[in-house]
This record gives sequence, C-alpha cells and structure tokens, in this order.
Amino acid sequence: MKKSYSPLYFLGQAFKGLWRNGVMSFASIAVLMSCLVVMGAFALLVVNIEVNLDQLRLLNQVVVFADYDATPEQIDAIDRQIWHLENVKGVVHNTKDQALVEMIENEEDKVLYDDVLGENNPLSDEFIVEYNDVNGVSELELQLKQIDGVRKVSVRQDLATQLESVKNGVLMVFIWFLVILMIISVFIIVNTIKLSVFARRHEITVMRYVGATGWFITLPFVIEGIIIGIVAGGIGYLIEWYAYHYVEKMVTSGALSMISILSYIDVGGIILAGFLGVGIITGIIGSVVSLGKYLKV
Amino acid sequence: MIDLKNVKKFYPNGTVALDGVDMHIDDGEFVFLVGHSGAGKTTMMKLLLREERPSSGQIIVGNYDLSNMPNRKVPFYRRQLGVVFQDFRLFPEKTVYENVAFAMHVIGTPGKVIRRKVPALLNTVNLGEKTGCFPRELSGGEQQRVAIARALANNPRYIIADEPTGNIDPKMSIEIMNLLLKINKLGKTVIVVTHEKGLVDYYQQRVIKLKDGKIVDDRVGGMFK
Repeated sequence: MKKSYSPLYFLGQAFKGLWRNGVMSFASIAVLMSCLVVMGAFALLVVNIEVNLDQLRLLNQVVVFADYDATPEQIDAIDRQIWHLENVKGVVHNTKDQALVEMIENEEDKVLYDDVLGENNPLSDEFIVEYNDVNGVSELELQLKQIDGVRKVSVRQDLATQLESVKNGVLMVFIWFLVILMIISVFIIVNTIKLSVFARRHEITVMRYVGATGWFITLPFVIEGIIIGIVAGGIGYLIEWYAYHYVEKMVTSGALSMISILSYIDVGGIILAGFLGVGIITGIIGSVVSLGKYLKV
Repeated sequence: MIDLKNVKKFYPNGTVALDGVDMHIDDGEFVFLVGHSGAGKTTMMKLLLREERPSSGQIIVGNYDLSNMPNRKVPFYRRQLGVVFQDFRLFPEKTVYENVAFAMHVIGTPGKVIRRKVPALLNTVNLGEKTGCFPRELSGGEQQRVAIARALANNPRYIIADEPTGNIDPKMSIEIMNLLLKINKLGKTVIVVTHEKGLVDYYQQRVIKLKDGKIVDDRVGGMFK
C-alpha cells in the first residue's frame, strides 16, 4: 500500500501548536525579531563603514620627500623613476619653495618665517603620488624608499586605518552580539516548543506505539519553529527597513551628508535572506533541541 | 511467534526485573501474563514493545530480533503490534472515528483506505453507531473498545493489552475479554497482562505467571494461583 502524508496535516499541527501556546509563541517571535533587528543594524553599520572606507582609500596618497641637498637633476630623476613604477596613477611635484609658501600661507604670524626663505629653506622637494591599487601600497612604499635621493616616504593611511579598526571593533561586537542573541533566541524557542510538546505528550506516546516514525512526530514541531523564524524574520525586516530609511534621510539631508550611505534597495535582499535564513535555522535548532528526549524510541 | 531465550533485565539501580526468562508463544495463541506487583510484567511489556532492550538473552517477535534491532526499525516493528492501555489513552478532542483513524493516519495510510476501514473496525467492536461521539460521551467499556479498534487499525499480528480491564466495571470487563477472544479467533496473537484473578480463572486460557522476574508457572487452562 502506498503511504501518503499530507503536508497540510503537518502545517495544521504546527499552527495548532503555535495557537495553543499563544503567549510563548508571541514571546519567541518578539525575542527572535529583536535579535534579528539588532543583528541587522550591526550588519548595516559594518557594510556602510566599509563603503566609506573604500572611498577614503581612494583619497589616499603617498608623499615622497627628496634629500635636503638633492640637485635639480636628482629631483628630475626621482620624478621619472616614480612615474615608471607599476602602481602609480599620477605624480605631482612640489618644490621645497612651493612647500614653504603653502606652509607659511596657513600661518598667522608670517614674519616669523622671514629667516627661512630662500637659501635657508629647511624643507625638501616633495612628490605627491596617487596610486591605483590600495593593496599594493606597502610594496609601492618599499619601491619608493629604494629610489636614490629619497629621504622619506609618508603613507597617509591614518584615517583609513583608524576607520578600519573601528570597523573591526564593530565587527567583533557584532559577532559576539550575534552569538549571544542567537543563544537567547534558541533558548526561548526551545521553551515554546517544549510547551507544545508537553501539551501533545499523550498524542506522541500513542504515535510511537502505533509505529509513527521519528520524522513524522518531529516535523510539526520543526515547522512550528520555522514559522516562528519566518514571522520574526519578516517583521524584523520591515522594522529594519523603516529604521534604516529614517537614518538614511538624516544622514543625506543633514550635516553628515559627507558620509556615504548605501540605499536599502542595495542591501535589502541580503538582509531579508539573512533574516529568514537565521530565523529558520534558529527555529529548527530550537525545535530539534526541545524534541531530543521524545525522539527516543 | 514470540520467543524469549534466557532474557535478563537489570536496571542501573541494581534491580533485577527479569532473571533468565524463557518463553515461547505461537502465532494465534491467547495468553494471560500474570503476577503481582514487581513480578516483572511491566518490564516484559517494555521489552516486547521495544521500549527497553534486554541486558542479555534474545527476544524474537515474528521476523524481528529485538535484542539487536536498530532504533530506526522500531516504528516498523511496532506496526505489527496493537497496544491496549489500562487508561485507554484516547484523545478527548477527537471523535471515536478520528481516534481510530489517527492510528492509520500517522503511518501514512491513504485517506480512501482509512474511510473504508475505520467503520468496519468500529463494527467489529460494536461501536458502529457511535462513530461521531467523543470519548467523554462513552462508558469505560466503550472507551476501551475504541482503544481496541485503534489497536487493530494497522492490522497487527500481535495484540498486547496492559491491564485492559483495570479501569472498568466487572460486567464491562467480561465484554472486553470476550472482544479480545473474538480478535484472537480472527487469527491475532493476544497477550493480556493482568492481575485480575477472577477473569484469568474464568477464561481458562494459557497462563504464564511471573514472580520475582522468573516464570514460575506456564500452563494452558491455568489458574491465577
């Protein structure tokens, strides 16, 4: 005889379980949803820091300082050699006189600099080098240092480095939050499903005695967990969407407009998939953990 | 055929529940398994239902060797058994029909077969008129008859009844025992676990008596001594 199992039976049993333990089901959805929203907020923060970091990296330049006593011929040679390097996009040469003028322009008491003009100029010629690939900066720095007549190479990555460390910090907090919040969510879901299992314990006993397989007994509870995950993920997505739009509006219209912010359309799909994925996995883990002893034959 | 060879069962707390039991029950037999509290009846039930494994010895039920059977095969083994409980274990929110259909549904029996078979089963236990009733609307004896119909639902080879008359009055007890005998006549092997002396003595069937985990008496037409 061909066996037949109706998917509607499993779905019906799952909804019955959720309804029977309404308060706990609601609590599970609320907790999981909150976890997902916090998790999503961290994820969006990390992604947006990364976008701004990329832009900042584009501004990065390397400044090459020539020897103090470099001759005009040596300066020309340095210029030519820099241009020949692979990762170099452009070079701007500032003579030491130009550098001094720029420096004095920014100072209030210009008289103080009278003594250092002309022959007494303490600065050296500098080359502002723009590069193509940020990943090749270290190598470029090394190549520049090896050029004859180069005194110092300054890589202006400070801001990018600081932002990078902020991003890494946020990422670490994000990962720990994720782990802790997921454990809390699983714990709450485990309790909800346990209540559901407890309410059906006699039914489960009879099922086992008449020969129901483990998966037949388990499936309605797993579906119950999945439904909790889907509902929490769906509502969490909508809340995240609304909150992100608010932040986006604030950033783009106010004094923070220099900060780049991704549009929710660009990240919405991944957020939704992530929320549903994490929600469903959490739901499944929660139900399987709570069913452990009932799966015993 | 049910065959137990030198079956021993010890629990972790040191209790010796069964101590070298040898027992053979042929297909189509009707057997009373009797004994006082602590004699080993419950352990024997658990072993036959494969809720527990023996500590040593061999248990063969039909084509299954329960001593070595992996857990994944247990549901399929249990489909050869029909279990009747003292407390009926009916679902109060399900009708008589639904209670019986449930047992078929959980092993994936198609709806068409369920619709055809359940009324026939309920007629067998003389409850054809009460298909739409809820358990609370039935007497104890009637509830036990529903439980027996449910035990028969998947056409098992063996019926194991654990104190089936324990929760019903004496008149109803006779009815239930007659029904189990009728089922036995239909070719099922029936094992009734009981400590009701009157019933055992009245029916004069094979009686296996357990005491302190050992079989102390096994005879056809026996009495509960």
